[in-house]
Amino acid sequence: MKLGPIALALAVLFIAAAPAAADVRVVATTSDLAQLAIAVGENLVSVETLVPPASDAEAFEPRPGDLGKLKRADLVVRIGLGYDGWLDKLLFETGNAQVMRGAAGYVDGSVGIPLLDVRSQSIANDGGHAHAAANPHYWLDPQNAVIVSGGIAEALIARLPDERDRIVANRNRFVQELKRRLAEWTERAAAFAGAKFIAYHNSWPYFARRFRLNVVDFIELKPGVAPSASHLAQLISEGPKLQVRAILHEPYEPGESPQFLAQRLGVPVITLAPSVGSMPGADSYFALFDLNLAAIATALAKPR
Amino acid sequence: MTAADALTFLLMPFAACVAFVLIHAYFGVQVLRRNVIFADLALAQLSALGATVAFALGYAPTSAAGFGYAFLFTAIGAALLALTRGLGAFVSKEALVGILYVVAAAVTVLVIDRSPQGAEHVKKMLSGNILTVSGAELAKFAALYAAIGAFHWLARGPLISLAGERDPASRALPTVLLWDFVFFVSFGLVVASSVTTAGVLLVFSFLIVPAVIGSIFANNIGPILAIAWLVGIATSAVGLVASFWLDLPTGATLVATFALALVLAGLIKALLFVPREQRRRTRRAAMQIGAALLLAITLGSSLWLIINPHADQPLLAAFEHMTGLGPARFLNASNRAVFESASRDTVRFETQIEALNARERAARYEGAPLPDDEVRRVGSYQQTFNEMAQGERFVQQVLRGKARERERWLVGAPAGLLALAGLVLLGISWWRAYCKSSRTARSA
Repeated sequence: MKLGPIALALAVLFIAAAPAAADVRVVATTSDLAQLAIAVGENLVSVETLVPPASDAEAFEPRPGDLGKLKRADLVVRIGLGYDGWLDKLLFETGNAQVMRGAAGYVDGSVGIPLLDVRSQSIANDGGHAHAAANPHYWLDPQNAVIVSGGIAEALIARLPDERDRIVANRNRFVQELKRRLAEWTERAAAFAGAKFIAYHNSWPYFARRFRLNVVDFIELKPGVAPSASHLAQLISEGPKLQVRAILHEPYEPGESPQFLAQRLGVPVITLAPSVGSMPGADSYFALFDLNLAAIATALAKPR
Repeated sequence: MTAADALTFLLMPFAACVAFVLIHAYFGVQVLRRNVIFADLALAQLSALGATVAFALGYAPTSAAGFGYAFLFTAIGAALLALTRGLGAFVSKEALVGILYVVAAAVTVLVIDRSPQGAEHVKKMLSGNILTVSGAELAKFAALYAAIGAFHWLARGPLISLAGERDPASRALPTVLLWDFVFFVSFGLVVASSVTTAGVLLVFSFLIVPAVIGSIFANNIGPILAIAWLVGIATSAVGLVASFWLDLPTGATLVATFALALVLAGLIKALLFVPREQRRRTRRAAMQIGAALLLAITLGSSLWLIINPHADQPLLAAFEHMTGLGPARFLNASNRAVFESASRDTVRFETQIEALNARERAARYEGAPLPDDEVRRVGSYQQTFNEMAQGERFVQQVLRGKARERERWLVGAPAGLLALAGLVLLGISWWRAYCKSSRTARSA
């Protein structure tokens, strides 16, 4: 059971690395972006992922092998917004001009996304435009995959102008399938629209916006700093008043404080998959939402 | 949030602290006597390595197999630590213990590398999560510690006498090694269980600080332990309450509180627990040293203000914050108006950002959802307000620099001169005392 995520991780890596006779070598920072790149490129691309699918991208430590992957890359797809900030240094070290910031082979998935939680101070001007530091977990809104896949398609066409029609057709097929499923998901999520949750960490604003959930508070206010006694006490006292229905938790986050809080509040802990491959069953971008919405529906359906 | 709520909330962590202090302070006294202070870190890390290996092999850390692996690695560590007594003649024991710790930690990182909770696991081993300890866990700890405590009470003869002997030549080496092994295995069991809840940093504090405080005031194991237990329990209570009222992470606050208790204990020992004649002298010396430190910091800070008024001025900023005498006081009327409006505007922009955020957040789940373009518009407004607030902060910073350029002569120079005069006076009185004491020494 515990080996599940690891085996799954290996399987995803293997599938991602499989097609050999491909034209364009794509390196994606996360498994979710890798899935979108495969959906758009199909057998025109071979996709490699840098962050192992079940681990925290923000805490990722690059390995020597990653330099090799980037050196060979024709296209780099990243989350941006500081989520995979370590990539900048890696790109600089590899010196692969094709995939440098601003080059045709550089795709920042966050471009064009309707960003949420734009409240922190802006980072210094970088290449002529200031990027607001916003919440980076935008792939958890399936609607945003339309924008990200568009960016990938554009970069692929620039690289393979002759394959334009195939790439556009692939992307349209993906978007159609996505829209069909999104309608289904939205319908399913309507059953618990407006339900209140406490999340471990602020990873779910885009998901919450799309599926109309109300994440009222977080356990860990600053990433990496354990919650203080008074913050936990405050959550316990305000939880019943706000009628919190469940605690949202990701597989790689610490389990103690969510369990503790759940027991005190008498609500379930729902473990959601934040990325493709982070949990058994979350083996594709579509499965991610199937799994997460089903997990919420089952947990909230149980009598309290 | 009432005091009663806080009490019920902190009761369980406090009970855990009491259990930890009772067993750890005892082991701390033993460890101090054996002079292998970092042995607990090495053992804790080895047991963490065992748990990690079990995890990588597919067992849950709380399962019997998980505990078995953790215990196996701890026992290997105990054997290695027992052997350090034999090697003590060639290399320092502490060096070997340190190497054991670092290697165990590095191998843990390698084993855990590809597992999803790797980074989290390593962090948890360090700072723990004592706040969320459950009743069931507490019962487990209590049973384990009672068993180990009872065993150590029965075997107190050989365990305590061996601890103090540096070179127990009177006994056969195998017996010594066996008892050392038994000691380290039971120690490892305690540490392996507590580290998962309290974290390495806090366990180390539980272990060493009360034992050190006890040995400051007493020489025999009984009184040392009594003092260590009392101080440890009281300090835990203060630390927990402080973490609650000051809204700080519990583990780190407890560690800091233990450090504070040690400093207090040192002061009490130096000022109160000495002969009366000496007491007066120590008190005088302590006050003089304190005054000299204060004056030196003031002098340094005013020199820094004079040399570089635009740089960060931590002492001056703290002074301004406490007295409410902002830099605006040192500006001319027009600059002061600009400074004050910049302060107001920064707050205004920040409020506007928050208001927009609250509006967008509410639209996620109630009323009509905001369309994507509206969200983009909100985001770009927020970004603009961010930039504007940033600009106002820059204005404040420039004006603060201007104010400080004037402040360096109006405030820095007099404060620096006063501090210098104070230091010179202190120096003269020290010099006189020194001459006098050397004269009496010569005449005697």
